[in-house]
Amino acid sequence: MSDLEIWLTILAMACATALTRSSFWVIGGHITIPTRVQGMLRYAPVCALAAIIGPDLLMDPQGSVEFSFHNYKLIAGAASIAYYLVRRSMLETIVFGMACFTALRLLLS
Amino acid sequence: MSHTVSEPDVAAHHEPSWRAGLKDGMPPLFGIAAWGLVVGVAMVKSGLSVMQALGMTLVVFAGSAQLAALPLIAAAAPIWVIFVTSVVVNLRFVIFAALLAPHFAKLPVLRRFFYGYGTGDLTTALYLQRYPNEKPEEGKLSYLRGLLYPNWIAWQAGSIAGIFLGSAVPPEWGLGFAGTLAIVCLAVPMVATRPALVGALVAAVTAVLAHALPYKLGLLAGVVVGMVTAMVVEGQIERRKAANV
Repeated sequence: MSDLEIWLTILAMACATALTRSSFWVIGGHITIPTRVQGMLRYAPVCALAAIIGPDLLMDPQGSVEFSFHNYKLIAGAASIAYYLVRRSMLETIVFGMACFTALRLLLS
Repeated sequence: MSHTVSEPDVAAHHEPSWRAGLKDGMPPLFGIAAWGLVVGVAMVKSGLSVMQALGMTLVVFAGSAQLAALPLIAAAAPIWVIFVTSVVVNLRFVIFAALLAPHFAKLPVLRRFFYGYGTGDLTTALYLQRYPNEKPEEGKLSYLRGLLYPNWIAWQAGSIAGIFLGSAVPPEWGLGFAGTLAIVCLAVPMVATRPALVGALVAAVTAVLAHALPYKLGLLAGVVVGMVTAMVVEGQIERRKAANV
């Protein structure tokens, strides 16, 4: 992307923040969201996060699936999920996950 | 109309509420700054220049959407795909805004816009703990401000530190991976229910399988398929519950 395209992208993302956070504030007053729509609003973000994590952990930079012990991100990622479930701390989990990833990278490659 | 005269002023400065907001918002600030740091590092590690990364953190102010957009920017996806992806990741804020906005319906519109813009996950959660219902109360805005300003400063300070730290660290360290780990930590508490868990797994697998789709549409394909799956699972659980009653 060119410099200009990146700045336009940043502007578009700022609009996305304004649209989702500020719309109802600007409208004001009480708004009841239908249950079905609420379900969609509730599930979409977690699905989006999962859809980012999946390819990040499972695929190599060339875009092919790597489901093996040579995939350090996958191993470190799985260990981090387990760590987070026990400790419930984002900061600790990131440090732990980076330590796992770095250890695998330095020891095994 | 006597009741409008006696109605408490939500917007007037109220020192005890402002202080209560500062106090309640204090404990998570370190975590917010750390999360900002990770996003800051991830931005420069994905190829943004220092200026672009600073611009992004200052005007976008939405960590999960920023992390979601970075791989798309690196892959030169079309701007509309990045926009739609950011909206989708931010959709939870629509629910938050619907809960919070009625508390401040009387403020001038420009101020409502900015308070909405600055109100993220944590501010919403803490605010609603103190003021679960919409009736006008003195000090509501002061409390919101007490939560919001330090939160914004902590996030930006962490983020800016991350941007400069990230540009100083060699790429072999793989620091960009910290961004993925941060998203993992955000996602895990969100899959507490079965529909959410099934939906998230389906979304992840779909995104991997659909990786080769043009315009980097794999992510959005994952969201749509995962979301529909979650709704179907939820419907089935409800029907089973109804049948058992």
